[in-house]
Amino acid sequence: MQTKDCLTIYGEQIKSRLLIGSALYPSPDIMTQSIVASGAEIVTVSLRRQQSAAAGDDFWQLIKNTGLKILPNTAGCHSVKEAITLAKMCREVFATDWIKLELIGDDYNLQPDPFALLEATKILIDDGFKVLPYCTDDLVLCQRLNELGCEVLMPWGAPIGTGKGLLNSYNLKTIRERLPDTTLIVDAGLGLPSHACQALEMGYDAVLLNSAIAGAGCPITMSRAFKAAVEAGRFAYKAKAMPEKDVAAPSTPTMGMPFWHQEK
Amino acid sequence: MFYNIAVVGFGLAGRLAALGLSKQHQVTVFEADDEHTKNSAGKVAAAMLAPLAESVLCEADLALMGLDSMKRWPGIIAELESDVFFQQQGTLVIAHQQDKGDLQSFAQRIKPLAGYTAEHVNTQQITMLEPELAGRFNQGLFLPCEGQIDNQAFYKASFTQLNKRKVKFVFNQRVTISDNKINNRPFDYIIDCRGLGAKNTQGDKPLRGVRGEVARLYAPEVSLTRPVRLMHPRYPIYIAPKPNSEYVIGATEIESQDSGAATVRSTLELLSAAYTVHSGFAEARLLNIQTGLRPAFSDNRPEVSQVGNVISINGLYRHGYMLAPALVAQAVSQIQ
Repeated sequence: MQTKDCLTIYGEQIKSRLLIGSALYPSPDIMTQSIVASGAEIVTVSLRRQQSAAAGDDFWQLIKNTGLKILPNTAGCHSVKEAITLAKMCREVFATDWIKLELIGDDYNLQPDPFALLEATKILIDDGFKVLPYCTDDLVLCQRLNELGCEVLMPWGAPIGTGKGLLNSYNLKTIRERLPDTTLIVDAGLGLPSHACQALEMGYDAVLLNSAIAGAGCPITMSRAFKAAVEAGRFAYKAKAMPEKDVAAPSTPTMGMPFWHQEK
Repeated sequence: MFYNIAVVGFGLAGRLAALGLSKQHQVTVFEADDEHTKNSAGKVAAAMLAPLAESVLCEADLALMGLDSMKRWPGIIAELESDVFFQQQGTLVIAHQQDKGDLQSFAQRIKPLAGYTAEHVNTQQITMLEPELAGRFNQGLFLPCEGQIDNQAFYKASFTQLNKRKVKFVFNQRVTISDNKINNRPFDYIIDCRGLGAKNTQGDKPLRGVRGEVARLYAPEVSLTRPVRLMHPRYPIYIAPKPNSEYVIGATEIESQDSGAATVRSTLELLSAAYTVHSGFAEARLLNIQTGLRPAFSDNRPEVSQVGNVISINGLYRHGYMLAPALVAQAVSQIQ
């Protein structure tokens, strides 16, 4: 049943429009408190580099204890094969068919590899996965991913961890306009709550971020700031912004205004 | 008072506790491993004493405890009556041009500690501090007050000294502590320094291991005189020069309990990053790459706690050498 203004991820209704990562916090305690403060209902988790499922269990247990939905990711994978193996391992460990598909094309700026991404997406969807691809803000790539069956797309705002915000808002707006029925989440590159707010204002359904909170001086407080910004952005989108104008239009008619106010 | 005291765990904290107590009391050390304690995090570590740099990650009170420990190390080493390398000549922090953002954000996050703060250094100053890095880096930070210790030498010398003091050792025995007894043997006090060996015995404070991989190189073509940290978006490393042209390159930090051999990825990251700092590492000999698990509580803060006559020191995480002397002193004072 459709509930009030929810984010839809593969048919599931999610109230919070903020998805949060679980890496790089000063401590697991601060991580869990930040996650709670963000109001997020979905936490992304990386299985990469844990060597085995059992080895990372102490840490994952902390995330599982939050009771939130887990979105495992394939962070750190460079090839289709690696990503698929990891996706399958994630499905077992976290008992979910959701996968945030991340395939790195360039090691220095961690830019996703669009070609490998399409290939891996097709294989994973055929295998029953619900793929949430992390992609660049390229319209044609987004269309192709959509055609393959991705109901959710996650174009970047800027390269991972840069905190630069929405570097190409034209591209992001174009994707929004051309794929009006697809759930769109800006993933990566956000640094400030205002960046998240802008994404939501422009009609993006949600944002996914990690470093902006984990790397803040006080992650828990920053988490609250992002929560508020995402809510503000969504309200603004729904309220439909006034049209921009080049000529000033006074909000209070000056005619009839007492002269002592005009002096100010 | 004279007490019969058991120290359980012969890692860094256990050694310091045994050293602190054996002058006055009868001490028996229990260790699950043999005398080489090859799995001890303190043995694998680079043994950096870096309260300013670590203040980026930890709370100010812990960094200040690091300064306190720093003052204690020379006295501890003097007690060993052996030549254990200890140095306090600061740390140099550098970044490649393209990663200067990481250097800036690191500089912003350093907490000034009791009058010490990070100093920005330019090409000339870097050259003066480390002549072999001349021309390679044009900006950096100098962290005065920081130092390091040769932990391999400390492990060896502490064992020798404790033997001289007639400390009793029980190796290769995993013990249970209950009712103030060890395997039903009573002691006046028990100092629990088991680290991850105490996992699942810490009540409601779960301990976890945080995997770290560290490379030890023999690099006669490199002469760095003090620890050097490289800021990098993905491979932040430190290079700690030890005696006899040995260098410790560390360390990865992975939320994993796996203590198995280092991975190729980690090895490549550590060694490539070191090579970008100094090309003389190309011909270095790779002496070993070891893996250790750092015992940590979920707040990443250490804890000294006492229940009955059992005093536990645990959760030193990545700050063993930086914090252990102060923490152990606190535990020892609970006895005296």
